[in-house]
Amino acid sequence: MTHLKGRQRLLALGGLFLVVLAVFVGWSVMSKPAAQAQGAKRTRIVFWHEMTGPAQQQLDTFVKDFNHSQHKYEVVPEFEGNYNEAVQKIINTHGTDASPAVFQSMDISTSQIHHTGYTTPVQKFIDADHYNVNQIAAGARAFYANKGTQLSMPFNTSQPVLYYNETLLKKYHITPPPVNPSYSDITRVATQLMDRSHKQVQGMTVEIYGWLFEQFMANAGVSLANHQDGHAGTPTAVNFTSPSTLTTMKWIQDNLKRGDFVNYGAGANAQNNETASFLSGRLGMFLQSSASIGQLTTGNHDQLGITYYPHPDGQKSNGVAIGGASLWISNDKSAHVQRGAWDFIKYLMTAKSQAQWQVATGYLALNQGSQKEAVLQKLYQKLPATKVPGEQLRAATPNATNSGIFLQGLIQERNLTQTAMEQIYNGSDIKKSLETAEKSMNSYIQGNNRANGY
Amino acid sequence: MAEMMSTPKPQSTPKPQVAEREKQRSFNLHVNDKYYALAFLGPSLLVLGVFVFYPMLRTLYLSLFLTNNVGRPTVFVGLKNYVNLLTSSAYQASLQATAVYVIGVVVCTLVIGLLLAQMAVRKLAGIQWFRTIFSATMGVSVSVAAIFWLFIFSPSVGLFDQIGKLLHLPLVQWLTTPGPAMVAVIISTVWMNLGFTFLILFGALQMVPQPLYEASAIEGASPRYQFFHVTLPMISPTLFFTSTVTLIGAFKSFGLIDLMTAGGPNNATNLMVYQVYRDAFLNGNYGLASAESVILAVIIALFTLLQFKFLEKRVTY
Repeated sequence: MTHLKGRQRLLALGGLFLVVLAVFVGWSVMSKPAAQAQGAKRTRIVFWHEMTGPAQQQLDTFVKDFNHSQHKYEVVPEFEGNYNEAVQKIINTHGTDASPAVFQSMDISTSQIHHTGYTTPVQKFIDADHYNVNQIAAGARAFYANKGTQLSMPFNTSQPVLYYNETLLKKYHITPPPVNPSYSDITRVATQLMDRSHKQVQGMTVEIYGWLFEQFMANAGVSLANHQDGHAGTPTAVNFTSPSTLTTMKWIQDNLKRGDFVNYGAGANAQNNETASFLSGRLGMFLQSSASIGQLTTGNHDQLGITYYPHPDGQKSNGVAIGGASLWISNDKSAHVQRGAWDFIKYLMTAKSQAQWQVATGYLALNQGSQKEAVLQKLYQKLPATKVPGEQLRAATPNATNSGIFLQGLIQERNLTQTAMEQIYNGSDIKKSLETAEKSMNSYIQGNNRANGY
Repeated sequence: MAEMMSTPKPQSTPKPQVAEREKQRSFNLHVNDKYYALAFLGPSLLVLGVFVFYPMLRTLYLSLFLTNNVGRPTVFVGLKNYVNLLTSSAYQASLQATAVYVIGVVVCTLVIGLLLAQMAVRKLAGIQWFRTIFSATMGVSVSVAAIFWLFIFSPSVGLFDQIGKLLHLPLVQWLTTPGPAMVAVIISTVWMNLGFTFLILFGALQMVPQPLYEASAIEGASPRYQFFHVTLPMISPTLFFTSTVTLIGAFKSFGLIDLMTAGGPNNATNLMVYQVYRDAFLNGNYGLASAESVILAVIIALFTLLQFKFLEKRVTY
């Protein structure tokens, strides 16, 4: 009896297994012709991106509009998780069916992606089409160019800026920081906030973030890597211990000790916590990407102030580098597919698309023509502060030290500088911490250059 | 046996045939056995080969190379990856952090798990409810647990922060100061582990024969004496099992670390597995990451071996 039951159960299990198998087989057989039928009319352009939230929604809208605007191509957007992991996915799938035709990759992966030799520089299409590249912001273009060749097209572009709570400053009768503030301007505001609020309000925070570290160096006009930050040749060493860098770190450390600066740590948690504190009026100022504007204006009862990234005292600001990501075209697809990818990129870069992009996301409109678009004008009227990041971008003349660092292994560089920042924030010796990071980075670069045969 | 049968007398013709047939059959059976064995083992060998043995060998191979920007091994460096790792202060710190974490997690999990099991084994009204609650963390996924603990440790709205304020204790920046961050991830991991440990130990406690307690009680043994001389020896195989599983699990912890601290602050919670992830999937440095994986595998194997060698002696089956 029990034996029979056991057999029946086994049979039932076997049957279930067969049904599942049949469903899978059926599904894979069914789904293929459908995909082919679509592809028969239009060429599929697989587009990998790493956008979430409102940016993803806007991007999906762009894709839909582009697909409606013509009949040759069908762009298929695919979300690929975070920036860091996407780089490895792009590299590991190259040359297979799974690889994208056009992909978004973050700012600091530029040198790495270029050196894989897996992409077609967009310069090729710019030349072929006589595309007017001057309509795209020069500071953004310079970041993704090497020796006069545009490697990829800047897309979602942000600037690091200083945010301050204007309402809070008014309440304590504090003059806001000037348009292009120096370190001592920030110290003044932070100290006044702390003193006049009787420590109810924290003055300022600088997140432990390698990007901000790089920006301090850029704004001081100091190269982080040799060979002009890699723009003149493959870097062989980095310099984390320039006088300006030491001054900057000392400025932060002194203020942290005094208590007018606070430390929110590193990573996504730090960003969430500093934003929450800022919105609840407990933090007066902080440095962050201009892409946070959207988050800082919705539901904020206080007036938001935005100004340029601070620079060392006694010198002019050199201008900061952009952040964000760019669009690349893979060279493992046919010329027709690559052409479709380029058409899609052109669509994203039009004055109209870029204006919509800035309004929806807070990333900067890179097309000069966007400034005249009605949607953008309306945003500026409503929130005048949102003009500032774009002005900062246009105010700087691109040069080797503010156009990003053309170096492979910048993720490692950020890890190391972040560790050094953490140590410095916790009171360690500034020079020693930075020297340790510099030494590790240099040995990393040596190994990397050797492995790649540079 | 076949030898004996294969030397029959020449005149009896049917016999050699039978013998031959016998031999053939036995041979066939033998061969068939091999084929059957291969047929049954084949699929699992194939799967193991493709997904376990090949990656293992490949990792070993990669660990002797520098890899270029598309992950291909280009420059043979011998054991230099290992030497560089073992002499780097950052990696030594990672080893140290892993040791602290593993010891903390294993000891706390076992002690608290045993305590809960010991409580739950008593037959009291409503005990069923507690048994369910104690084992409930088995059903919680890592991401949910991480978010839950992040809320508790949050510096401005966290539960610990609120309690601290009520009691006028100094504010602890749980996840942004090195020491407390390690404590925080250990607490969260132990909490995650407890459900499983509790359930296994609870089962073991229930299996301890009641007469042993009765007999020892008649001898005048105190409950404490009973616990150390009856309960512990009887559940020692299970304790051994849970300690091994928890140890290996602790070495391999990734999800909670990634979601709560991402290895920070100041690399205080940068455990060995996390360093492997960073080097392989963020830095694209496969050679170094492979060397780190090999070191980790060796360490886990060593500890498991030590456990079998020393702990198993104290286990009563």
